[in-house]
Amino acid sequence: MEFAQYITYGVINGSLYALVAIGLALIMGIMGIFNIAQGSLAMIAAYGSVLFFQHMKIDPFVSLALTLPGMFLVGVFMYLTMFMSMNKFDPGQKLRNSMLVSFGLVLIMETLATILWTANERTVTTAYSGTVMALGDLRIPYTGIATIILAIVVIFGLHFFLKHTTFGKSIWAVSQDHDCAMLMGINVKRTTLVAFGLGIALSAFAGAVVSLHTVSPAVGIDWTNKALILIVLAGVGSINGILFAGLLLGIVEALGVYLVGVHYTGVVGLLIFIIVLMLRPQGLFVRKAGV
Amino acid sequence: MVERKKGLVLAAAVIVALALVPFFTVREYVFSILCMLFLYVTLSQSWNILGGYTGQINVGQAAFFGMGALVARLLWVAGVPFYLSILAGGLGSVILAIIIGLPALKLRGHYFAIGTLAVATIAQITVGNILPGISFLPAQQMATYSLIPRYYVFLIIMAAALAVIYFTVNSRVGLGMEATRDDEEAAQMVGVNTFKYKMIAFLISSFFAGLAGGGFAYFNASYYWYLPFTLMWCFEPILIVFIGGVGSFLGPVIGSVCYVLLKELFALTLGEANLLIFGIVFILTILFFPKGVIGLPAKLRQLFYRRGNVVGR
Amino acid sequence: MDLLKVENLSKSFGALWAVNSVSFSVAEGEIVGLIGPNGSGKSTVFHLITGLLRANKGKISYQGKDITRFKPYQVSRSGIARTFQIVRPFPEMTTLKNVMVGRAFGSSSARSMHDTEDDARRLLDLTGLADKVSATAGHLGLVYRKKLELARALATKPRLLLLDEVMAGLNPTEMMETVEFLKGLRNTGVTMIVVEHVIKALFSMTDRVVVLNAGEKIAEGTPHEISRNEEVIKVYLGDYEHA
Repeated sequence: MEFAQYITYGVINGSLYALVAIGLALIMGIMGIFNIAQGSLAMIAAYGSVLFFQHMKIDPFVSLALTLPGMFLVGVFMYLTMFMSMNKFDPGQKLRNSMLVSFGLVLIMETLATILWTANERTVTTAYSGTVMALGDLRIPYTGIATIILAIVVIFGLHFFLKHTTFGKSIWAVSQDHDCAMLMGINVKRTTLVAFGLGIALSAFAGAVVSLHTVSPAVGIDWTNKALILIVLAGVGSINGILFAGLLLGIVEALGVYLVGVHYTGVVGLLIFIIVLMLRPQGLFVRKAGV
Repeated sequence: MVERKKGLVLAAAVIVALALVPFFTVREYVFSILCMLFLYVTLSQSWNILGGYTGQINVGQAAFFGMGALVARLLWVAGVPFYLSILAGGLGSVILAIIIGLPALKLRGHYFAIGTLAVATIAQITVGNILPGISFLPAQQMATYSLIPRYYVFLIIMAAALAVIYFTVNSRVGLGMEATRDDEEAAQMVGVNTFKYKMIAFLISSFFAGLAGGGFAYFNASYYWYLPFTLMWCFEPILIVFIGGVGSFLGPVIGSVCYVLLKELFALTLGEANLLIFGIVFILTILFFPKGVIGLPAKLRQLFYRRGNVVGR
Repeated sequence: MDLLKVENLSKSFGALWAVNSVSFSVAEGEIVGLIGPNGSGKSTVFHLITGLLRANKGKISYQGKDITRFKPYQVSRSGIARTFQIVRPFPEMTTLKNVMVGRAFGSSSARSMHDTEDDARRLLDLTGLADKVSATAGHLGLVYRKKLELARALATKPRLLLLDEVMAGLNPTEMMETVEFLKGLRNTGVTMIVVEHVIKALFSMTDRVVVLNAGEKIAEGTPHEISRNEEVIKVYLGDYEHA
């Protein structure tokens, strides 16, 4: 039964990884912008949740109503000041420059968070923190259940939005063919701006969940790392694949903890990353290699 | 050709002059500043051969720096002669590079960046988990601690890195690297095995990053084991290379001088906030001065030319 | 003996056969033209021969050796060079270094960097780029970039040269010069396959012409024969006059 308990935690962690990765996947797959700062943005959002809870006793899931638009505005600011100017580059250069700039942002955000909130770990302790649902011997934290549901709703919701709403379709159209979309009467500038803002806003979901675990300035880059591994596992451009990739990584890590101990969790992740790169570099959930 | 010879003679003269510094001063402050300068020149030049000349962006240089430090320190503290320990550290980094490079460098675009970042974050956390404490020097080594041998170790590592990288980038291998950076397909079309040149650059890069890490392990009497694995060691070489001038040989040298001086200045006046300044400077460099300090004269000339001559070419 | 032999070469992108069972051969010392309307598969044939794309079916032999599965750099080293339809010099490198790369790698590399540089300078003289030696390739005008790409390809010392629309964008005088240059090159022993839209220039230098349409070979013959071939006139030359 202990084994099933490990797997349960793996599923919960995997859902959280997917929540961090989804914004990164959206921005990378649709706009060709490689945002290494995604995890750091989730970290900032998580501090937002922590502060709302500490000062106003607002539950992290409720304060999403504030952190989501807040992060959207952060995204709009980032796009207008830094990433918009990269549209003139070819895809390779755009990827490289956006990666470098966002790497600078990681440093800025981590330092800023340390100055503002110190390097200490913080967490939100709600009434339901630590409470569990017992299923036989299996114990499932309520926050974990919330994480899983949130991940499913957000990711499939995003998929539905992109495929079945007018604005979502116009985001797709812009990503497929910039000039053609313009000819079809889509306001390309506004669409890309909103899409980027949306991708950054998604980090607020991850932030809310992260705040229930532990937040410190240094976790940002670690979350980004998990997100990037998911992108490679799922394949660039895959939205639904992110959830499955997250579950896969979470479960494999849990198995690693079960078998070799908690110190080597990350190494297990790195190993599957390398194996996938060698055997199936286009990703596990994409049918054909994008050229 | 004549200019190149002049440059080499000048460089050799500078190295010799630096080797003579301990005969003229014993001020610890001077030594530690110079040691840091040599470390940053080595680390950033090692980043530059891969990132600047070959176009493969390594966002996880800390893993290779840290690996060198970890292996060298473990062996050295265990009693292995220092010069062997530091070489073993360099080799440890090379092995790590082979593990990441074989899958990631075969592919294009973001895979290499993701691979290096993954290995860096995972190394930092794993080392922090397994060796959570501080590494102290044994009392016997502590008693004989002196900055002078540290100074020479850093100087030798830097001179070796500069020499190897200089002759590599100015050789046939360097042509292959630059062609790979500019256009992989076109490079293959004229006979360049691009994977091979990416791998060569990565191995040289990681070896010298590892040696620099070994220097760090030799220099510091005590430090947290995970310290050479922290994000800063990923960020600093990139920052230095881009401020100095990416893909040029002198860029990282100039960048290191600027960085070490500014860091001293800011650290005194701003404390932790100095990293904010560097982060902002870095982003501005990428966005507006992609060729760094080295490219500044050309950039200014270009601006001037445009103003002065409306017709243009 | 045939220098290059292509048998039943096929390549599909999804359901579309970009090249469908194409066969032709090129003898040592020939200049062979490869023509066809846009999208007929000419560039794809070049990509397949040079290894940038993998064929689904068929075989490519060069000097009697099967090179179908060769990687691009191996193709280059065995003595085949090409230019790209949309030129691709190394943009951040100087003109001189661009050509030095070709000379340092390619099918027979120069012995030392010194020789590499000398040879590269000689080639730049030959192709009319002598005064652009230290210019950054990405800043050159289109005509110069085309010349540079040709110089870089020649620097690899090819025995077979694949030219993809080297004359597009040139004025009539430059075109004549290029034709003369290529004829002279053939006299030094370089075999060529030439893709060109400028039919007149092409016919004035080719020994044979292969015509593709929608991925299939529809005719092959001397320029004289091709210019009288009913089907070719219908699908290609006629089409071209309308355009």
